[in-house]
Amino acid sequence: MSESELGRKWDRCLADAVVKIGTGFGLGIVFSLTFFKRRMWPLAFGSGMGLGMAYSNCQHDFQAPYLLHGKYVKEQEQ
Amino acid sequence: MGGEYVLSDSGQEAPRDPWFLQGWKASRMFLIKGSVAGGAVYLVYDQELLGPSDKSQAALQKAGEVVPPAVYQFSQYVCQQTGLQIPQLPAPPKIYFPIRDSWNAGIMTVMSALSVAPSKAREYSKEGWEYVKARTK
Repeated sequence: MSESELGRKWDRCLADAVVKIGTGFGLGIVFSLTFFKRRMWPLAFGSGMGLGMAYSNCQHDFQAPYLLHGKYVKEQEQ
Repeated sequence: MGGEYVLSDSGQEAPRDPWFLQGWKASRMFLIKGSVAGGAVYLVYDQELLGPSDKSQAALQKAGEVVPPAVYQFSQYVCQQTGLQIPQLPAPPKIYFPIRDSWNAGIMTVMSALSVAPSKAREYSKEGWEYVKARTK
């Protein structure tokens, strides 16, 4: 993996983390105000979910060049 | 109990609402809240904000292009309606600080210092020993 490609992956990871944490936080605010009587735990839950999803995406993105994709080949009886 | 009239808040008898109106009054707030929450969830789903990372990056870039002009237009509209004049702030100074180059240069400096540290320590201790020997003669 070249350094420029690594830099692009890091940029994508950071942007993805910002969007996902913000989205989780926003949804947490909406649900906290509508259904959960302005409690704090929906905000923490949404932010944590967003962070976890971003981490998972980043992990998959960085491991992508090294993941081997194989397939099963049926043995043909001669 | 279950009659056609109920006591209102002022203590007077008032006709009981029909069943559909009672149901509407009881579920009105829940329907409004559910609509707001459902709309937020649908917006997130439609914009694919919780999807792959390239979609999120595109959404962030699009937001960065759309939000500042929208904020500016809204501020102009508020100025026109209220007659207030928002002072023009000067443009922020453009600071160029290459973090990557500084970090790399710092790492190389630290590693080169560590690599010459044993020989330098030997040299300085030898000089110090020569100095002490010369002073004690």
